[in-house]
Amino acid sequence: MDDDVKKVKKPGLVSPFKRVFLKGEKGRDKKAQEKATERRALHTFSLSQPDHRIDPDILLNDYIEKEVKYLGQLTSVPGYLNPSSRTEVLQLIDNARRSHQLAGQLTSEQDAVVSLSAYNIKLVWRDGEDIILRVPIHDIAAVSYIRDDSLHLVVLKTAQESGGSPCPSSCPDLNKSQTLSSLSESGGVLVEVCCLLVLAVDNKAAAEELCLLLSQVFQIVYTESTIDFLDRAIFDGATTPIRHLSLCSDDSSSKVDIKEAFEADINTFPFQDSVEAEGNSPLASTPTSPQTKPASEGELSTTAAELLQDYMTTLRTKLSSQEIQQFATLLREYRNGASIHEFCINLRQLYGDSRKFLLLGLRAFIPEKDSQHFENFLETIGVKDGRGIITDSFGRYRRTASSASDSTTNGNGAAGGSEDSAASDEGQETSEGDEWDRMITDISNDIEALGCSMDQEAVTP
Amino acid sequence: MCECLTSSLTTVDLSRMLMENMNSSADSTSPASMALYTVMYPVFNQLEKDDTSSAAQTLKAAFIKAEKHSPGLTQQILLKIMQKENIQVNYHECLLRMASEEFEALMIDRKEPEFQSLNKKAHALKRVLSTIPDEILDKVRFLQTIKDIAGAIKELLDTVNAIFKMPQYQNKRAMEQKKEFVKCSKNFSDTLKVYFKDGKVVNVFASANRLTHQTSMILLAFKSNA
Repeated sequence: MDDDVKKVKKPGLVSPFKRVFLKGEKGRDKKAQEKATERRALHTFSLSQPDHRIDPDILLNDYIEKEVKYLGQLTSVPGYLNPSSRTEVLQLIDNARRSHQLAGQLTSEQDAVVSLSAYNIKLVWRDGEDIILRVPIHDIAAVSYIRDDSLHLVVLKTAQESGGSPCPSSCPDLNKSQTLSSLSESGGVLVEVCCLLVLAVDNKAAAEELCLLLSQVFQIVYTESTIDFLDRAIFDGATTPIRHLSLCSDDSSSKVDIKEAFEADINTFPFQDSVEAEGNSPLASTPTSPQTKPASEGELSTTAAELLQDYMTTLRTKLSSQEIQQFATLLREYRNGASIHEFCINLRQLYGDSRKFLLLGLRAFIPEKDSQHFENFLETIGVKDGRGIITDSFGRYRRTASSASDSTTNGNGAAGGSEDSAASDEGQETSEGDEWDRMITDISNDIEALGCSMDQEAVTP
Repeated sequence: MCECLTSSLTTVDLSRMLMENMNSSADSTSPASMALYTVMYPVFNQLEKDDTSSAAQTLKAAFIKAEKHSPGLTQQILLKIMQKENIQVNYHECLLRMASEEFEALMIDRKEPEFQSLNKKAHALKRVLSTIPDEILDKVRFLQTIKDIAGAIKELLDTVNAIFKMPQYQNKRAMEQKKEFVKCSKNFSDTLKVYFKDGKVVNVFASANRLTHQTSMILLAFKSNA
């Protein structure tokens, strides 16, 4: 026994190959260790236990990062895959690993960072921070946690075209294949397909944490979207015009009504009063009594003012003061000759994904000659079809292209009428066009003033 | 026949009372009168079935008259009764659950399809609003309920707008009432946003009650022009 205790390992001859091998391994370990110490700290927050709750503001206005291993992404997976079926999912993953579509062995080479916010999941390599992919939240159908022996897999079922941004309006004839759920032919039968994003984490706790975080994101996003859906329904119903506000309607009586409506209501436009009054919120102001006029015309005349008032009210609740000023600038640029295409793109950027439904409210203010492009644009960004998290099943009307002259101007008051216009209608249409221009110019001024007044309110203690 | 006449007279009285209140009330969004037509009317109807004398009808007429002269009186009486009897229920929740009941006094009695459609859309909205107390605690189901409410609001407004398009149905009061309804709907949406932060269900119930009341007022507004 004592001999055993006293026994000391004699340093023996070490095979040169072993020496080199060990040296290499040690070098790699050393490098890995160095790499680990070089890696930046993750942007993370402490989560309340046991449900890993996070402040929703962090997901809305910030982000949280978690370390994962990225095994890969499987595409053209049948859409009917049941994400809660362990057998089905593992079968796919095993096949993919056998065919080297997914990483087999887990090493530091798969180290990645998942960045989570209410808008998207972003995956970047841990070293180098190169982006792997980005998946908008509304493209995620399901999240699964599968424990396979020592492997803790988190699998995200996503849309096939994940991470795609809306098609710009330069391609109005959007190919239906660029929808969320792509279709692929399989034996002559169209089958919906999806993607599987396969991640691995260290342990069960990490997997549960990631799943719960995603669950909270879904709650926030779907709640916000549901409320937005409600707002859209109210806005749409509130602002549906009695007649088209376009001045190129073939119905001459409606032209007269609209003209009188603008003349009658220009003095009662509430925002002029509300901007002048100190400390008065435009929302609190109410329009003055409409001028006395025959009942039918009076009722129609409230429609234009209603629409404008409703839209202004909505802008105030949805946009910041700076954004309102930007909106006013874009509107002015459009009125001064910028193309409808540019106007649409800039507005879309301004509103972002969560507020793109605001574009619907602009329908009444787009001149007839640009209305087709505008309608196509709405369709491409999914406002019309109701793409996104919640499908809008209302259906939107299309304005028919009118063969009558287009007296609506878009420029420095120059008439942009069609050459087919009848000479006898020109005078009336030009004056109606002027009226329209004046109305829109007033709106632009009021919007800018609204933005300034909001700034003043913010500054005033 | 006498009973039917009396019953229909009180129905007319209720409509008239509500319309007059709608015209004169500074705060037309107040659903105080809901206590009368939502809670008391079913009680009176039950009493009338059981009571062979005209006492129930007299009581009904008295309540209508009192409510007309003092809007909100019925609600106060109800709350006092509940307090005295130590009835532990939430008044707003109960009111909302009962909101889907149909009352002749609050329906448009015109036969034209557009008005019948309006009756149906209004009732559909009130019905889905009345399910809020059952759904609100289950987040997923509540989100679906909100979507259903959104759809019902849109359909109601579309129907109203379709009626406004017809020159023979131009109705200034109805247009004003539509504006009130839209305002109330927006208020409901804002209340929901606050609810998802603070979790106070009673505010949602109260806001939903105001919305059901405004829905009834839209019907009355068209009824008054019939």
